[in-house]
Amino acid sequence: MGRPVRSPLPRIPMLNLTPDFLLIQLLNGLSSGVLLFLISAGLSIIFGMMDVINLAHGSFYMLGAYFGLTILRVTQSFWLALILAPLLVALLGLAGERFLLRPLKGRGHLDQVLLTFGVALVLADLVLAVPGWGGTVRALPAPPELAGSIPIGKGQYPVYRLFAIGVGLLLALILGLIITRTQIGAIVRAGVADAEMASGLGINISLVFSLVFAVGAALAAFGGVMTAPIVSLQPGMDADTLIRALIVVVVGGLGTLRGAFWGSLLIGEVDNFGRALLPDYALFSIYVIMAVVLLLRPAGLFGRKT
Amino acid sequence: MPRQTEILWAIAIAIVLALIALPFVESTYVVTTVTEILIFAIFAMSLDLLIGYTGLVSFGHAAFFGIGAYAAGYLAQMLSPNFLVYLPLALLITAACALVIGFFSIRVSGVYFLMLTLAFSQMVYAIAFNWTDVTGGSNGLSGIPRPQIELFSLQWSFEDEISRYFLVLAFFLLSYAALRAVVRSQFGHVLVGIRENETRLRAIGYDTARFKLAAFVIAGIFAGVAGVLYAGFNRFVSPGEVYWSASGQVLIMVIIGGAGTLVGPALGAALVLALQNVVSSSTERWSTIMGLIFILFVFAARFGIIGLIAQIMEGMAVRLRPALPKEINGHPPN
Amino acid sequence: MSNLSLTRRDFLKKLALGAGAITVVPILEACAAPAAPTTAPAATAAPTVAAVVSPTVLKPSAPFKLGSILPYTKVYAGLGESITNGMTLYFDSVNNTAGGRTIDWIKEDEANDAQISLQALTKLIQQDKIDMITGIVNTGIMYALRTPLNDAKMPSVISNAGGNLLTRKGVNGNLKGLYSPYIFRCSFSSYQISNPLGGWVAQNVSKKVAICASNYGFGTESVADFKATFTAAGGTIMGKDILPPLGTTDFSTYLPQIAATNAEAVYSFFSGSDALNYVKQFDQFGLKKTMKIVGAGFLTETDVLPGQGASALDAYTTLHWSTTLDNPTNQKFMADYAKRFPNKEVDVFAMAGFDAARIIVEALNAVKGDTSDQSKLLDAIRAVTFDSPRGTFVFDPNTNNVINEIYYRQVKQNASGGYENAIIGKTPQPIKDPENV
Repeated sequence: MGRPVRSPLPRIPMLNLTPDFLLIQLLNGLSSGVLLFLISAGLSIIFGMMDVINLAHGSFYMLGAYFGLTILRVTQSFWLALILAPLLVALLGLAGERFLLRPLKGRGHLDQVLLTFGVALVLADLVLAVPGWGGTVRALPAPPELAGSIPIGKGQYPVYRLFAIGVGLLLALILGLIITRTQIGAIVRAGVADAEMASGLGINISLVFSLVFAVGAALAAFGGVMTAPIVSLQPGMDADTLIRALIVVVVGGLGTLRGAFWGSLLIGEVDNFGRALLPDYALFSIYVIMAVVLLLRPAGLFGRKT
Repeated sequence: MPRQTEILWAIAIAIVLALIALPFVESTYVVTTVTEILIFAIFAMSLDLLIGYTGLVSFGHAAFFGIGAYAAGYLAQMLSPNFLVYLPLALLITAACALVIGFFSIRVSGVYFLMLTLAFSQMVYAIAFNWTDVTGGSNGLSGIPRPQIELFSLQWSFEDEISRYFLVLAFFLLSYAALRAVVRSQFGHVLVGIRENETRLRAIGYDTARFKLAAFVIAGIFAGVAGVLYAGFNRFVSPGEVYWSASGQVLIMVIIGGAGTLVGPALGAALVLALQNVVSSSTERWSTIMGLIFILFVFAARFGIIGLIAQIMEGMAVRLRPALPKEINGHPPN
Repeated sequence: MSNLSLTRRDFLKKLALGAGAITVVPILEACAAPAAPTTAPAATAAPTVAAVVSPTVLKPSAPFKLGSILPYTKVYAGLGESITNGMTLYFDSVNNTAGGRTIDWIKEDEANDAQISLQALTKLIQQDKIDMITGIVNTGIMYALRTPLNDAKMPSVISNAGGNLLTRKGVNGNLKGLYSPYIFRCSFSSYQISNPLGGWVAQNVSKKVAICASNYGFGTESVADFKATFTAAGGTIMGKDILPPLGTTDFSTYLPQIAATNAEAVYSFFSGSDALNYVKQFDQFGLKKTMKIVGAGFLTETDVLPGQGASALDAYTTLHWSTTLDNPTNQKFMADYAKRFPNKEVDVFAMAGFDAARIIVEALNAVKGDTSDQSKLLDAIRAVTFDSPRGTFVFDPNTNNVINEIYYRQVKQNASGGYENAIIGKTPQPIKDPENV
């Protein structure tokens, strides 16, 4: 046993705060953070640009994972699942945007809440009803080439989690470049700033909305497939993830990709270290952070001041 | 005009009489269900004071329901099962918590307010879950005694469903009357003003933060009333009562009933609970049906049940619409 | 489902209408328009007089009404399905009759929600007028239902919820004991499963054990039961108890902490998805190379074992049943179950449902279908004994909790390449749950 570190705070368990331990915990926070980013990125942009509170966003994540499960069972290929499941969910998102959300334009948040909550209820129940999906907890194994662990210090770290971190960071970078460097990114940024003005400039704003919504849904589904080998699939995964993603979105600030990114990493790390340091209040730490951020910066870390 | 007022009063009295007559004509099961509906109606009306009148969409209102219920359950077991003793104490505790949570929450608005209230309610949940000595932790508080009233030499114990029904009915009517007085007072008009345009009110010298805080505390107290009644009704309180899903449920009740009126949310509570009862025992896939009904409501009943009724009553709709907020989304237009 | 639900639906329709009447006032206030046509809804509120329910006459020939509250939605949906399947299997085998009465089984959803379960119970008791109730998976919800069940003097055969307090008696005014003469439990208590494990682990696995358990009533209760016999047998608990919240999906925060205790084994209490994720990640983080897993049998039950696969290999657990239990009743039960429900693996929950149904049938047979004398019915339940898939089934008359033989099991690979909980021993005597808190 290493030397326990005396802590000035009460009720903190004596932990082996060795560099190994810290590194592994940092990686844990990072892996859950980047996966959370995949889900909250779409939620944040949709929110900022379309002013839509989408309570069914967690359902996209869940559906992605379950579609992935079926595709994996049929094709035996994790990689196909990772590509096809988000595409399917993107189509679903397109349909939902076109036929459910668009007719509600200008109707305010309460109607959106009721609508998307209803959709989330239906989708959660659908997962329970589909044979081979819900009810029982399901495992989606990592692809064999990423299944092992590698030594880090005295401990071991699963290769798949390192892969997830890499993919998440890469996607964040690509998305960041698209938003800042491309024309479509400029349109999206203009839409977030002022949707009406953007449409005044001759941009087909409803087409952009549809695209953004579909991409957001696909990202969440991609996150669902990526997360599945780590945490397995179960009823209720949609709601838990939605709440965490909502926290990220307000902590980072509505409508900013940068906010979603740093918010995700912050929440990932805070949650992880909160569980390690204050185990009795593990359910609590991310809410405390959110409250603190909102009280200090009422529009989130990167949000525009209103 | 006076004729109309008379008709309104006649209808109000008829409804109250119908509610009073209910236990004598309906089965115990219906009475029990209506009792629960009335409790949640108080809860939903209290939330609507925030959402519909002040424009503050709270996603953590179950915290005050839960605090009231836990305080009542604990005090009834440890101090006295006398309703007249633990009710005021429990409400005092709820009000104090609402004051603290409200003090911080009203500093932000819109979606940020929604999420901040969620954060505080989840903290209350964590405390309910961890403070096992008082709350029973995940096992909850069970075996809470039924309400009793002892006043001087008078003693009344609410042992059967019917007497409990009347206790709850009395509190429902009192709460309705009190909240109605609140929203019709000068204070209530300021709240509506905050919903419509907070900046303007501030410009003409109103300290809107104080008004918002007061509304938050009043809403918390009435949620506490519902919680206290719930503890005596179910004789059990668990952390589930303060979880975010409970806040979500009451939010749905308000929206589906029609925010911005007191009776709308009460009807929303009735519809959601009645549906939950009926549909859940007729099919395993009841969530789907509930979800579809919610979706249908968004498209078919724009201002919730209350709007639907108004639409049905031709001609009245015209007069009703302006009385309802055009759009309540927690974003007071600046 | 039941033919009564129709009438009930009507009630609620009226109820909704009645409530609708309340709306009228403010609408009118809001619009202050001519109000002549609006008396109609108000009128419907009062005259829903139809509901004069005649008292049920208990004739032996009338159907026996059995209510159940089991989860069909949310996280425990799989358990509800298993228990329902097990019950269906047994009821079918007796043609749905017992003591000359048909069994009318009314199912309600537990929904992992105390409020919904309480509503369901009210409906079953007051509306359906059930004769008996069974089911209930979640201990917290069971504690919520206990008071109304006891008040209604409702004979109850609980088929999962294993919290210790349910069948314990409070002594010296202790409020915590929740024993009720009307409530029987045919599943297990956390004591029965984890208490026999502690001493056994100290003797057979290791005397240096860390603790990692779901942080909720049932988890921490199990930890205490394990520790009691483990330390008494000379074992040392390594490090502080590590208690992840119930519903944790990612255990990566906790695994390095477990490793840091330098224990040789870790007592793990998890079930359902928590168990699946914990065991898999325990392996992924390389802990399996240095530490053995011991725990309550739910950790590697058949609902999660296929997903855990090789990660679960060698884990030691205790439970009152296993698929590998080699007795004719169990073999027949598993074969019948596989034939009837080919898409759902048999598990300990299905077994509990199967036994619950049998207890109900045996008790009804014993009183020849006459449930009018309740004390006789309760005595009949208490006296039920039969050859169960788990061994001899018998209730402890002092607590109304089942007396279970507890098996020591280890996860091994079977001939067909799958994984199973092989039985490597059992307790010298069947385990009774203590009578008092």
